[in-house]
Amino acid sequence: MNTTVLLIKDTAISGDTTKELQAAFQKAAREMSMDDNVQIIRVSDLGIYNQGVVVKVLPNNIIYANVKPEHVEKILKMTVIEGTPIEDLLLRNVVAQTRIVLRNCGVIDPESLDEYIGQGGYVGVSKCILDMTPEQVIDEMKKSGLRGRGGAGFPTWMKWNLARQSKGDVKYVICNGDEGDPGAYMDRSVLEGDPHSIIEGMMIAGYAIGANQGFFYIRAEYPLAISRIEHALKQAYNAGLLGKNILGSKFSFELEIRLGAGAFVCGEETALIASIEGKRGTPRPRPPFPSDKGLWDKPTIINNVETLANVPVILSKGGDQFASIGTEKSKGTKVFAITGKVKHSGLVEIAMGTSLRDIVYNISGGVLGGNNLMAVQTGGPSGGVIPEKFLDTPVSYEHLIELGSIMGSGGMIVMDETDCMVDISKFYLKFCVDESCGKCAPCRIGGYQMLGLLEKVSDGTATQDDIDTIRRIAFTMQKASLCALGQTAPNPVLSTLRYFEEEYRQHVQDKKCRAGKCTKLITYTINADTCKKCSLCAKNCPSSAIPGDKEHGYTIDQAKCIKCGRCFEICKFEAIVRA
Amino acid sequence: MAKLTRQDIEKMANDAKKNVSYVKVGMSTCGVAAGAQVVYDLFAQEIKSHNLTIDLKKTGCLGMCHCEPLVEIAVEGLPSVIYGRVNGEVAQRLLDEHICHKRLVNDHIYELPVRR
Repeated sequence: MNTTVLLIKDTAISGDTTKELQAAFQKAAREMSMDDNVQIIRVSDLGIYNQGVVVKVLPNNIIYANVKPEHVEKILKMTVIEGTPIEDLLLRNVVAQTRIVLRNCGVIDPESLDEYIGQGGYVGVSKCILDMTPEQVIDEMKKSGLRGRGGAGFPTWMKWNLARQSKGDVKYVICNGDEGDPGAYMDRSVLEGDPHSIIEGMMIAGYAIGANQGFFYIRAEYPLAISRIEHALKQAYNAGLLGKNILGSKFSFELEIRLGAGAFVCGEETALIASIEGKRGTPRPRPPFPSDKGLWDKPTIINNVETLANVPVILSKGGDQFASIGTEKSKGTKVFAITGKVKHSGLVEIAMGTSLRDIVYNISGGVLGGNNLMAVQTGGPSGGVIPEKFLDTPVSYEHLIELGSIMGSGGMIVMDETDCMVDISKFYLKFCVDESCGKCAPCRIGGYQMLGLLEKVSDGTATQDDIDTIRRIAFTMQKASLCALGQTAPNPVLSTLRYFEEEYRQHVQDKKCRAGKCTKLITYTINADTCKKCSLCAKNCPSSAIPGDKEHGYTIDQAKCIKCGRCFEICKFEAIVRA
Repeated sequence: MAKLTRQDIEKMANDAKKNVSYVKVGMSTCGVAAGAQVVYDLFAQEIKSHNLTIDLKKTGCLGMCHCEPLVEIAVEGLPSVIYGRVNGEVAQRLLDEHICHKRLVNDHIYELPVRR
């Protein structure tokens, strides 16, 4: 007989009564002499928060919330012995992830072709090349409503259709695995965890547009992803899934890997093409679009890793089924790499339309250390911040753009009250200035000038005029830059200005940084009244800026202080004052 | 390897053996960085030296980066569960208690509510 398992966890914020309840369950189980076929186990995390004591019954998969000691016997009797759920205790609307892109990640062995096929892999592509015309494939993609997951959200079927209609015998498919946004790593996870799904997605794309060759463009910083793809390619060639006359059809398809050398701008499609051609990775003006004149001037489509991972599912299960998930204009799911001040960082795949609040509080467990959430940053250096008051916004391409941010490739950084918005925008802008290829003036000069002005703001030397100049430069960069890097680089600055102008004003007029991040605006002093002369701060100061002894007390030498905040954090008596 | 045909693919998809007992160790960059290799090696060694009939597999990333390294264990008669923050010591306990004695281990399970 199968053993029933009760997983229990107290999900309340304060107090932990898990052990007491576990003991109550175990006692009751013993009294009912059923402790041989039931196990009551404490767990670390159930993915459910603020629901009192939660009990999950496996393998029935019944979840009870707010379980009290008086429910113990009833649960054992009704659910464990008779197998019927107790309606009053059921937790119904669990916010769960929906996994399409990550369907096989962590489930199958990425180095085993058999396991991928065992999960229904390569069924989609065989259906395509043996039963469907390329037009039907594109039609199915149109039905699915899949849009590019690299950030801009261009309908995938339209891209494919444009390339299909372009004249020419030689066409190319490129997988864009040059994931460069700070904090985003979902593409790496898919490449490492489910390489065959990308290969299958590229084959389908190749068949749809009439291409016989494709390239993986993967950044060299992902050695494990590269080796897993290499391994998967070898397997696919050996099994006849790549090469000539695949599965006995007329369709032939070859795949190769090209490595990115570490330039962020090479994630931009025209720069990426230049890089594959062996030229310097700089963008060029569009049109002509790559679907017209791409790699070696041949019609080319470039799809993001995540987009391609969706394709096999759409073809094997049907576009309509895929379109049933998500919102009206944004279909399917999106993977976010959630990091920052959040309890459970990691990859989260949610159906489009899930609110940001659900992602942060119900899936990821809320803000670290119980601090107040200030904003959520999406879209990396091309995106913007979304303040707390808009957290109930459903995630979709349109809604995020409305708020001045973008979906982006899927980085999501949670920020709490200890984060300074000026500092955040400086960080992202600095990233774009460093990564600007320098080809066009608005991006090369504008970014640099704007960064200088932001530095003035955080140093406390800026005036209101400087803020106006920042806005003007931002507008110019958005309108006049050559590629998306320059056009979107001002977004983090503009969105922080839009929602947190008060914070900029404090820096400019009051010369204060609320979060204490802008080092020029803060000083640390020791409050002699509360100081216990324990010497902890002096011992931990990295710049030996705290002279003194245990008898006479300590002071901070402002000339030597580097304002790292180490003493502030370490003092047990809150005797260090930050002002 | 022989070239696959459509029938092969469909057959493989249908016959995929629903493995009842396995140990899966998350071995993507994130897992390896958190120490999954040590855990994997330990499982490999113990399974071999005790002649345990359980499959050991490397898998990709489940997405729960806050509690890597992750190990998923299924043994006959028990539902499969995911253990997080597994180090050598915990892995040894998992082997003794979960795999050999079929008792789940307290305080290390991380559930992930997912619709597939």
